[in-house]
Amino acid sequence: MSATQRLVDGLTEDLEDLYEHAPCGYVSLDRYARVVKVNATICTWLERPARELLGRPFHELLSVPSRMFFETHFAPLLRMQGFFHEVAVDLIAHDDTRLPVLANAMERRDAQGNLLFTRITVFKAAERRRYERELVEARRAAEEARRALEKLNNELERRVEETVAERLKLERALQNERKQGVLREQFIAVLGHDLKNPLAAIDSGLRVLSREELSDRGQQVLGLVSKSTNRMVELIDDVLDFARGRLGEGIPIDRSPPRPLGPVLQQVIDEIASSNPDRTIDVSIDLNSDVECDRHRLAQMVSNLLGNAVIHGDPEQPVRLEAREENGRLVLSVINHGKPIPPEVQKRLFHPFSRGEPGGSHKGLGLGLYIAREIAVAHGGTLRVRSNEAETRFTLRMPLRAAKRRNPVKQPDAN
Amino acid sequence: MSVLQRNNVAVRGSGEKAMVFAHGFGCDQNMWRLVYPAFENEYKIVLFDHVGAGKSDLSAYDREKYSDLNGYADDVVEIIRELELNDVIFVGHSVSAMIGALASIKAPELFESIVMVGPSPRYIDEGEYRGGFSQSQIEELLDFLDDNHMGWSAAMGPTIMGNPDRPELSEELVNSFCRTDPDIARHFARVTFTSDNRDDLPRVKTRSLVLQCKEDVIAAPHVGEYVHEKLPDSEFALLDATGHCPNLSAPDEVISAMRNFL
Repeated sequence: MSATQRLVDGLTEDLEDLYEHAPCGYVSLDRYARVVKVNATICTWLERPARELLGRPFHELLSVPSRMFFETHFAPLLRMQGFFHEVAVDLIAHDDTRLPVLANAMERRDAQGNLLFTRITVFKAAERRRYERELVEARRAAEEARRALEKLNNELERRVEETVAERLKLERALQNERKQGVLREQFIAVLGHDLKNPLAAIDSGLRVLSREELSDRGQQVLGLVSKSTNRMVELIDDVLDFARGRLGEGIPIDRSPPRPLGPVLQQVIDEIASSNPDRTIDVSIDLNSDVECDRHRLAQMVSNLLGNAVIHGDPEQPVRLEAREENGRLVLSVINHGKPIPPEVQKRLFHPFSRGEPGGSHKGLGLGLYIAREIAVAHGGTLRVRSNEAETRFTLRMPLRAAKRRNPVKQPDAN
Repeated sequence: MSVLQRNNVAVRGSGEKAMVFAHGFGCDQNMWRLVYPAFENEYKIVLFDHVGAGKSDLSAYDREKYSDLNGYADDVVEIIRELELNDVIFVGHSVSAMIGALASIKAPELFESIVMVGPSPRYIDEGEYRGGFSQSQIEELLDFLDDNHMGWSAAMGPTIMGNPDRPELSEELVNSFCRTDPDIARHFARVTFTSDNRDDLPRVKTRSLVLQCKEDVIAAPHVGEYVHEKLPDSEFALLDATGHCPNLSAPDEVISAMRNFL
């Protein structure tokens, strides 16, 4: 009875046939890793006859990368532990095509531990290997996405840190500057007071002298010295106002109870007119209500604005002062004609030590408009400039009455 | 972390003179377990894992430092200095043969001799030079690394089983041997297989032995001969063994060739 007949009859399993036609490939290697036996299954898969495979080093059955990986990883693993399982390699089939497989291997050694041969079992694994490759790709894509996200995150964190550091630096610089500013302004305040005392002495000395009999030349010099002293008092007052404003107190104002503003304005106009007899000042005052304000400060402001208008305005054209009421507010404008103030100069016009156009002939510290605006602000108002070819107009807008709670009105004396 | 922890350095044996064993791409210091016991009585044996391999500190793996074999050579010099050794016999397998050569150029005073097992100064063919592989084959290898999942999963499945026939192999060893973080393995593979150290060979002043297997698909015999020719002071021994790992497949041959040389 032939082997096939026995199989057909289902009598027994034929071991030789099982080897040759097993559902997996068999390869046996000698101790030099040469192929000494293969089964029919693997020859069919590779479409290569057994004689082509026998006697060859096993690595020659592998694709080049498989060969390299096998030699560096699995050959040592096999030597070390005597077996390996589930190793992925590509076998070279007929026509140099690749057969992706998974391989298990086991060494057979003699009683002394000498290697006799190695048995390798090979399973087709094209689908599985492709699937696994996709998994690896997906994993890599996920990993890359995670890294990109991490990088982005780090970048964001770094930027936030940088911004915060920059802010802190700025803030520190600002604080430092503020501190220095406070010191400077304190210094100016002290200086202003210390300067005013000797000036007061000079002023009273001048008054004493004016009552003495003096030569014409003496009278003349006395007049000049008086004028200079007054000018100096004004400058020091400006510096003091500036220092106070900057120390955070604001320009101190002392509101008197509501009274008509007309007389105050008229007095300032008269003063300016008398010292500029060749200039015309048009006045239009239309105020029915009384105004609650620091009359001295308001006079200081109007005097400054009119003085500027006379100095900078076109001498051929009149200067104009307008005062009226508008929705419970005082609107007071000083207008002159002539060359407009350039926009860049307008921007810093109200800054302290702003001196108009460079090279201008105007003397002074450049504090006048700064103080004028501070006075407006202290009254809860605004001081704005508008300048064009037609006219240059400074306008004060402020409430006729002080807001009660924040700026309590001084009560008139009971008697 | 100290250098010794970083590289999982193990020192054994009692000799005056030290023998430092370095493993190649793919595995770890266990690669030498069939060789070093033969020298344990005469020499102080130093074993270590390159950073990224075996039980080294993976967190020390710096892609920039290890983008070139010099990073590994610096580690070798550091280990020898840390152990306060000099005149060592350095035994390097595969890519570690070149790492040892580079280390000996950096610090020649530390080395008495170098044993190179299966060395190759360049794996890729270039002009007249035949390294054995084309650039595209190396690229294919890098892709192929993904197809074997050692290191992909925490559990290695069937290979975790101990081997009842080889009781000296603990489970622990089986688990870690040849297993690397896949990203590190790819990078080390790229660095190894694209390296070119041909110009460094004439600069190696240390006495050397080239151990060459007669059939080695990674480093073919003519590559070993090339290394021997370019080294100023070297000997050449062709082993009867086949494959790239005679330290595992033919340890006795390796041991006797080393003894002849020493």
